[in-house]
Amino acid sequence: MATRSQTAAVLLAGALTLAACGSGGTSRTPASGGGKTLVIDTSFDLKTADPGRTYEPTGLIVGKAVYETLLTFDGADVTEPVPALAESYELAEDGKTLTLQLKQGATFADGSPVTADDVVFSLTRVRDMKGTPSFLLDGVEVAKTGDSTITLTSEAPNPALPYILPNPALGIINSKVAKQHGATADAQDKAEQYLNANSAGSGPYQIESFNLSSQVVLKSNPKYYGAKPAYDKVVIRNVEAATQKLNVQRGDSQVALNLSGDQVTGMPPTLQVKKTASANVIFLLANQDSAISRTTTNPKFVEAVRKGVDYAGLLELAGEGSTQAPGVIPSQLLGALPADQGAKRDVAGAKAALAAGGLSNPTVKLEYPTELTVNGLSFQPLAERIQANLKEVGITVDLQPAPVSTALDNYRNGKEEMGLWYWGPDYPDPSDYLAFLPGKTVGLRAGWKPGAAKEIEEAGEKAAAAIGDDARKEAFADVQTKLNASGPFIPLIQPSQNIVTAGSVTGLDYHPVWTVDVADLGVK
Amino acid sequence: MPDKEDPPAPRPRRVAHPLARFLIRRLLLAVLMAWGITLVTFVLTNLVPGDPVAANLGQRALGDPAIVAQWRAEHGLDKPLWQQYLIHLQGLVQGDLGTSQQSHRPVAQDLAEYVPATLELAGAAILVSLVLGVAFGVVAALRRDRLPDHALRVLSLVGISVPTFWLALVAFYVFFYRLQLTPGSGRVDAALGSAPPVTGLQTVDALLAGRWDIFSSAAGHLVTPALVLALYTIGLLTRFTRSAVLEVLGQDYVRAARAKGLPGRTILFRYVLRSALVPIITVAGLAFGSLLSGTVLVEAIFAWPGIGQYAYKSATTLDLPAVMGVGLVVGVVYLVINLIVDVLYGVIDPRVRLQ
Repeated sequence: MATRSQTAAVLLAGALTLAACGSGGTSRTPASGGGKTLVIDTSFDLKTADPGRTYEPTGLIVGKAVYETLLTFDGADVTEPVPALAESYELAEDGKTLTLQLKQGATFADGSPVTADDVVFSLTRVRDMKGTPSFLLDGVEVAKTGDSTITLTSEAPNPALPYILPNPALGIINSKVAKQHGATADAQDKAEQYLNANSAGSGPYQIESFNLSSQVVLKSNPKYYGAKPAYDKVVIRNVEAATQKLNVQRGDSQVALNLSGDQVTGMPPTLQVKKTASANVIFLLANQDSAISRTTTNPKFVEAVRKGVDYAGLLELAGEGSTQAPGVIPSQLLGALPADQGAKRDVAGAKAALAAGGLSNPTVKLEYPTELTVNGLSFQPLAERIQANLKEVGITVDLQPAPVSTALDNYRNGKEEMGLWYWGPDYPDPSDYLAFLPGKTVGLRAGWKPGAAKEIEEAGEKAAAAIGDDARKEAFADVQTKLNASGPFIPLIQPSQNIVTAGSVTGLDYHPVWTVDVADLGVK
Repeated sequence: MPDKEDPPAPRPRRVAHPLARFLIRRLLLAVLMAWGITLVTFVLTNLVPGDPVAANLGQRALGDPAIVAQWRAEHGLDKPLWQQYLIHLQGLVQGDLGTSQQSHRPVAQDLAEYVPATLELAGAAILVSLVLGVAFGVVAALRRDRLPDHALRVLSLVGISVPTFWLALVAFYVFFYRLQLTPGSGRVDAALGSAPPVTGLQTVDALLAGRWDIFSSAAGHLVTPALVLALYTIGLLTRFTRSAVLEVLGQDYVRAARAKGLPGRTILFRYVLRSALVPIITVAGLAFGSLLSGTVLVEAIFAWPGIGQYAYKSATTLDLPAVMGVGLVVGVVYLVINLIVDVLYGVIDPRVRLQ
């Protein structure tokens, strides 16, 4: 037996060597492209590459690179939409009609032109397929009103629409190609599998390979009609934050997206560290449904929590670059409250509020997701800090962490007595934050039913209908002031988004919607 | 069959039959066990709190009962649980593991993409731990109570007691970052791309394509994660090999062999190791099973695109068909390892053969 297996081993080794040598002759061809490769490390939050269903940070990075939208933003400035596939837009005075003129000469990756029909199909598909981003176009009718004219009509004034259109979820797809692969403009759509492996867009990049849990490889689109991006290939890898740090420090990757404040301190000077307050607002909610809690429904309890939290301490925990959130609308957006209007800690005031509310040593349950991190910051230390803060006031907080999938259930169904969550802007317009009002998405999660707070709801309606920057700014500030005075939410902080890049990477801006536009990145 | 070393009496040809019968019996048992695994994975995944509908559909779609109903029907979730199980089983028999709710691809197709990466990693770890574990154990036994023995005892204790994820982090930090000896995350340098998939094993595919650059990068990427993964098994095997070898060394027949002047190498390989192999294989089989659970952690730290990452992603998104697929694969791997171990017993130890 020994000799037989030895012979076999020798034969096998010989065969392998032969095979290797035999094909060695063809190995002279260089690696594909041979151009510049950019490696981005990030903790994946990725579900799909179908723009009509994309709503996760990693998916938005991919979507932004592969698809183009009608309008976009210039760099990190989200205060003014600028042309992309549409060369101009005009919002009617009543705020109900948005007319866009398509740019000439834009082409998809297969060379065919981007037409008004593609736009109509793409946008109606997003709306009627009812994927996660469909709400962006709720109540919006899309029509082709000329060879290259698109008209978007809303029932109610919709001044936010130009700020919504840059969302990569509203990327324009090649309708002919997509329909061949099962795309329909309703819930029966079957094109996702195709779009997960191929790109039907007009963006600067195409999908080379797409894998939900390990990596996405983008290659530059040879038919792109605009300026060629600096990197021929972009590899987006799913990497743990701790490993991201080491990879970027050693040059194994060029961009690390998910480092916490602690992790970016003491980076060598050869690397660039960008610390920007993110647009994510972490907040506490106190349920207003008396079936859920007798304690949190007491307005004095909410006041006590608002005064009991040590905001400066939370900022310290979140690291440099973080800021306190004075209201639910983050600082980058129109209508954000000035920083000095943020709540301040007042332990005596908090105790007084508890006493006034007739509450002595109340106990509440605080639920939060365990493994979720926002900009590298996890909820666990925040929750523990809040627990300690409120202990000093006389509130006992019973921490109830749960995995995201379970915690989300309770949160979305409005079953949490208290919750610690965050809200990132769906689109950089304050109207997105009307979701915090009674009867709206986030409001309901806090058990806040329609009609529960008439005054705030009226202020919200006024803000929704306000046209013109100044009027809107004022109206949204009013909504937040009222929310802070008597709403069930306690806005806490906007953690810092820390992005570390190699010294050779230029042009990186943190973007509140799509984090990074890879096509904007350059090489020094 | 190791006929040559066996007692002189020539064995009749039918000797192969008991082994064949043994194999068939074991295979049938394995099928039965596999069925048990499907039942357990199905029940467990369905006991998990949390609704896959909420995890997979967007807010708007959730608000529309028609879409929710359609989604449930599409994934067979509208039927009673026992019926779902029967459908699941029926699919399995036809090689259909269902469709992943996340990737919208057949789970089998997903697994085919991830399993080779894990196989490559675990295979390398198994190889390393067998070679090093047995060698260390023999050295420790032969140099009993001397420096090599003490040093190896420390090593095996560390290997057994240090948690894998911590070891992975430290190893990555030390070898990749501090010493700059090993490459970073993933299976191969991102800039190189990967060889056209044939076997799914990056090193083999690179060789098949004659891409030495990819081969050396892939082999380099294997070193640290495989060693980290292997360390536990190395520790375990060192300990067991040492005691097994020590026990055999004290036997009369070994003493007799020595007395008649057989060379040390012959005694070691023909007499000692052969007898010591039985307990070693038992332990190795069990340890390799546990390698699979280790890969989940190691893959996370080294960004290794294997079944561990897939399992984690699927579990956190309540992608039940995918979770069941992973459970089945892991269960089947255990079964196969057990089967191999049982067959090896028969090969090594003639007494086991006829049972």
